[in-house]
Amino acid sequence: MIDKSLRWIDDRLGIAKGGRTFLDKIFPDHWSFMLGEIALYSFILLLATGVFLSLYYVPSAHEIVYHGTYVPLQGQRVSEAYASSVSLSFDVRTGLLMRQAHHWAADIFLGSIAVHMARVFFTGAFRKPREFNWLVGVSMLILGIVNGFLGYSLPDDLVSGTGIRIAFSIIESIPVVGSYLGFFLFGGNYPGSGVIIPRFFTIHVLIVPALIVGLLAAHLGLLVKQKHTQFPGKGRTEKNVVGTPMFPTFIAKTTGFLFMSTAVTFLLGGFAQINPVWQFGQYQPYQISYAVQPDWYMGWLDGALRIMPSWEWVGWGHTLPLMVFLPAVVFPGLIFTILMAWPFIETAWTKDREYHNLLDRPRDRPKRTAAGAAMLTLLLMVFFASSTDVLANFFQLPLEAVLWFFRFVVPLSPIVAYYLTYKICVEMREAGEDVGERKRALVVKRTAEGEYITEPSLPRPGDGHVELDAIPLPTFIDTAGPELATPGGVRRVIR
Amino acid sequence: MTADRIRRSLGARLAAPAALVGAVALTGLVVFGTGTAQAETTTTAGSTSAYEGPVTTSTNLAGGTTRTTPTTSATSLTTPTAYGAGTNAVAQPAVATALPSAEAAARYEAPSNQDGLYYRDLPDAYIAPGQALYASNCASCHGTQANGKEGVAPNLLGLGAGTVDFWVSTGRMPLANTSAQATRKPPRFNRTQTLQIAAYVQSLTPGQGTKVPVVNTASADLEAGGELFTLNCAACHTISGAGDMLAQGAYAPSLHLATSTQIVEAIRSGPGNMPHFGPGNIPDTEARDIAAYVVKVLQHPQDSGGYGLGGIGPVGEGFVGLLIGVGALMAICFWIGDRS
Repeated sequence: MIDKSLRWIDDRLGIAKGGRTFLDKIFPDHWSFMLGEIALYSFILLLATGVFLSLYYVPSAHEIVYHGTYVPLQGQRVSEAYASSVSLSFDVRTGLLMRQAHHWAADIFLGSIAVHMARVFFTGAFRKPREFNWLVGVSMLILGIVNGFLGYSLPDDLVSGTGIRIAFSIIESIPVVGSYLGFFLFGGNYPGSGVIIPRFFTIHVLIVPALIVGLLAAHLGLLVKQKHTQFPGKGRTEKNVVGTPMFPTFIAKTTGFLFMSTAVTFLLGGFAQINPVWQFGQYQPYQISYAVQPDWYMGWLDGALRIMPSWEWVGWGHTLPLMVFLPAVVFPGLIFTILMAWPFIETAWTKDREYHNLLDRPRDRPKRTAAGAAMLTLLLMVFFASSTDVLANFFQLPLEAVLWFFRFVVPLSPIVAYYLTYKICVEMREAGEDVGERKRALVVKRTAEGEYITEPSLPRPGDGHVELDAIPLPTFIDTAGPELATPGGVRRVIR
Repeated sequence: MTADRIRRSLGARLAAPAALVGAVALTGLVVFGTGTAQAETTTTAGSTSAYEGPVTTSTNLAGGTTRTTPTTSATSLTTPTAYGAGTNAVAQPAVATALPSAEAAARYEAPSNQDGLYYRDLPDAYIAPGQALYASNCASCHGTQANGKEGVAPNLLGLGAGTVDFWVSTGRMPLANTSAQATRKPPRFNRTQTLQIAAYVQSLTPGQGTKVPVVNTASADLEAGGELFTLNCAACHTISGAGDMLAQGAYAPSLHLATSTQIVEAIRSGPGNMPHFGPGNIPDTEARDIAAYVVKVLQHPQDSGGYGLGGIGPVGEGFVGLLIGVGALMAICFWIGDRS
């Protein structure tokens, strides 16, 4: 039956050849290669939960009187956006679970992108021929951060409203075009003419997701076309891919992983409260709460703003607010430029024009690893700086002390991290190839003559890497299907 | 054989990452969980606190009647539940979170308590025992005349009973150490003793300063309270009332343990760095609404969505999202992926 219908489709669309290639696609197996899949699956979850939310959310700044089930708000004048967010949380069945799962999925999405990116960076997977895919990936990271901020702003609560206010000031701080840009986006001077919520909504649910979907398709398409990188090992060369086929091994694994990602996201959504907007109240430009932070992926931008001294430049009848412009526009611009340009910076440095399908071990590229560690340390420290008030409160320290601590630590820590990482890598590289391998015990024996000798013990099971025999991939469509000696067996593809 | 090998390899390879993620996650929950206002929503209708509730008792006191039998007075004034061990669960009287019905509101509409808040005079009989308590617990710093010592302790004259009640009932006085700001701790004195000290200090400058308020939150307007709280208080105490650090070692304390009386006393007297709000700024009705909002909504939030993560917003959420969310998924990668 299945055979018949597939044949029917194949006769018309010719899917067999492509489908065979797809099902036989070889994926090298290493746990760190699955980090990107977390991002993929949380993005799917974001789309699914987001569609649910958009059925109930009202993207409007129009003021109404709240008459929902949340008692402390009853009778207050709130925007429709805020009222619908609160009613999503209290009146819509599974609404709060969906809202929280959506928010957690966003946090996990960007977190897994960061981890995946670190893996790609430290193993040199961005090298020729994969520079395009690196650029596509960084673009998705930037779009993800932007969309996270927009989505965070949509409930129109006090905390996110403060974020929009900061965003307006950041746009305004750009020389020459800043105020025009801000007025254009907000439809007038802050808080604008009530257009910002509907505009953010359109960008959040339509434009950016469409861009991400397009880039994601390109990301995966390039991955399929260029094939996955692999760690060096027995039988693995620059010209082949050693791993498990898409069907039946990899597809089972990755589908299971989709379910597990869903489980983790929804467990968090059910058990850990996130962004309880009903506690915050409707955003009013004249109100403010203390201890307001953005979501974590914006934290490094907020932290840079916090620790910046209040410098500004006044001249020729204009003011250049360096205390906003430098940390909030120049700093992220610089970081993203470095990220985007890194493959080309490295090529210019190493003059390496070769194809690379085998990955580097981080220790074998001490300078790159050290540079990556320095960048991560810098971002981590600026990230921590965005919670100066919470840290001060937790450690019972004066706020100024924490602020000045970060003013020194942020520029100094990357230098320390670079030096330490470099030293560690060099040390590890010099330690030799057998580092990390299981040691063989020496057995002391006494011979019949009373002589003592030592000899290495027998290898234990699991010692040494056992390579399975490769199965050659069929180059033609065979109706009987390929010989699958063992499901999950390792096969070798000639590129 | 095979099953055994699988079990062994699972145990050995998962133990380290699982233990790491688990330990970090637990630390996170403990760190961000302390001081959370995650109390169960109480649905008891009407206030059961003797101190806040019965209007009949209050009416007598409002008239300034001097009680000749201090024991009776003490009984009616003491709220044993409200000044317990200082833990979140014990320290709070059971309060209603639901809006009072019209019937309940009418019940509390006593003529003397139209605003839900009035200030009472403490009985003269409190002064003598108060003086003794003052001499043995406060005079060493504030001086026998309560006029303070330069560089050691402030002048108490003219501050009024309400100010003294705030500092003593929150346990801030007697002072634990000379840090930048007095910290809240379990009070040393019971309710009667506290009011006796307050009565003594008040008797030195009769009629001056903040009096001890009697707050009836039963008919309070929680919506107005919420708006006023956001407008006047959230900028330092944060929108969830969790408190946060201010400049130079001063901090806005958490409001999760505060009673409605203490809140009104703080509004009126402005302890420490807090601004002092007079009746022209925040009328009595509004002060009562703010106190009701803190006690009924912030301390007993009508909450959904699981564990509150300390009410400190995205810092706790980022911690959980990265370490538990991404961390758990990385552990799963490590589990199902190849590790050679």
